[in-house]
Amino acid sequence: MAVNVQAGAYGDSTVVRTGPRRWLRSYVMMMRFDVRGLGQWLTIGIAIQVLMGAGAALMYGFYLGDVPDVAKIFIATGVPALGLIPMGFVMVPQMVGQQRIAQTYDFIWSLPVPRLAAAASTFTVFTLMALPGFATSLGVGVWYYGVDLQVSWLVVPAVLLTSLMCTSVGFGMAHAIKNPMVINFIANMIIFFVLLFSPIIVPIAQFPDLFASVHRVLPFYHMAQVIRDALSNGFVTDVGTSYLVLGVWTLGGWMATAWVVGRRG
Amino acid sequence: MTAGPAAVTAPITIRSGAGHWLRSYVMMTRWELGSLRMLLPLVVAIQVVIGGGFAVGVGLLSDQMPTRAVLYLSTGVAVVTLITVGLVMSPQLVANHKTAGTYDFMWSLPVPRTTQAAAWVTVNSVIALPGMVAALLIANWRYDLPLQVSVSILPAVLLTIVTATMVGYAFAHAIRKPMITQLITTLVSFVILGFAPINFPPENLPGWLADLNLYLPFYHMAVVMRGGLTEGLVTDVGISYLVLGVYTVASVAVAAWVVGRRD
Repeated sequence: MAVNVQAGAYGDSTVVRTGPRRWLRSYVMMMRFDVRGLGQWLTIGIAIQVLMGAGAALMYGFYLGDVPDVAKIFIATGVPALGLIPMGFVMVPQMVGQQRIAQTYDFIWSLPVPRLAAAASTFTVFTLMALPGFATSLGVGVWYYGVDLQVSWLVVPAVLLTSLMCTSVGFGMAHAIKNPMVINFIANMIIFFVLLFSPIIVPIAQFPDLFASVHRVLPFYHMAQVIRDALSNGFVTDVGTSYLVLGVWTLGGWMATAWVVGRRG
Repeated sequence: MTAGPAAVTAPITIRSGAGHWLRSYVMMTRWELGSLRMLLPLVVAIQVVIGGGFAVGVGLLSDQMPTRAVLYLSTGVAVVTLITVGLVMSPQLVANHKTAGTYDFMWSLPVPRTTQAAAWVTVNSVIALPGMVAALLIANWRYDLPLQVSVSILPAVLLTIVTATMVGYAFAHAIRKPMITQLITTLVSFVILGFAPINFPPENLPGWLADLNLYLPFYHMAVVMRGGLTEGLVTDVGISYLVLGVYTVASVAVAAWVVGRRD
């Protein structure tokens, strides 16, 4: 028996394992690895998302004072969309940056799993981590503004695609840029400009033309569109284009990741 | 060989007095500014962009902002700039010292520790004031504000900066773990931006939250600053000066205690 184990250990190391089953197994293992690796950050991250989501839902109301009912619906459906952004655009890049500083970055790529399984696992974990915050900010918004929302089944693809897009773009960015300081800076700038200058909690018509046309290319406005469409009736037109734009950004994030992950050295 | 005995017998004098303090203060200020060298223009620039951007950005959220709301927002942004530098950014700089292991070295420098605190306030002012002025100018350009600057802006700015910096200073030094400092500063900036009536009038808050803010320093900082920048926007400025004054004295006392103890 002991001989077998030894032979097996030596023998296996030269076999290149492939196939969907092996991929799936690696994917599950990497998810466990990621969740364990996050450790207490998992709880803290979710807790921060929940608190900030609830806080933001109230904050915009404080800023805008007494607003008409339509504006209330825009806030109540916009803030949950807004809350999905930090997980992908801040936490994911920061995690990768931390790995670089702690010098575990190369170790993770050296694990004997397909690299795309490792990336897919990160996408899954962070996409799911964003969900409690989304639910909380939606609940708080509905309660505080007393709005009546019509939630359709589209909320599932809308939220998943949005969250996946944020995680994918953040992940691609974090891997493509080597300096953690630069990543941190970009992440903060994104948050700042998205919080203040995005047609997420207000109609895009309120924006100057230049800003509005930039936002038709960036993903943030379209995130708000698909989520608002799934939560309400009659405020969003042309939601197909928004799904398409989000899809393109997601693919872009994947391609950046695939390019970085695939190359060696 | 002759140098040895001379070094041993050299009298150990403890330097003190106003002259020594002043000299140490100037040296520490130069030290702090020097160590920020590269960062300083960047930080000032970020303050300017964030301050100005905030005033313009929040305006985008509302179709037609009444003048009163715009005044609250624009003066509030100036206040936020002062508070965040003292309460959010400078604790993070101290935390960086702790992470980098240069923290104890700073304390070992042969200067009175109070000069280090005083130098810190000076440096924070250097960082915060351009941001504050820029935020006001940008807001004024965007909204054409009826600002009326009076002399009382000087004590208002001074009290606000000193209090914010000293509170930040005290907890940055008292808390050992940089991570916790980071967490607290994040929380503080969240509260300042969203849950204190700085950028918006107190009546926008639920009653209990507005009442709670009467006991915290942030609202009063905003009131004294608005008193110095506008005419007729705020009343009862005297009470706010009083509350803020109490906070200033308390924060300086706590900072002095934290800095003075040995461990």
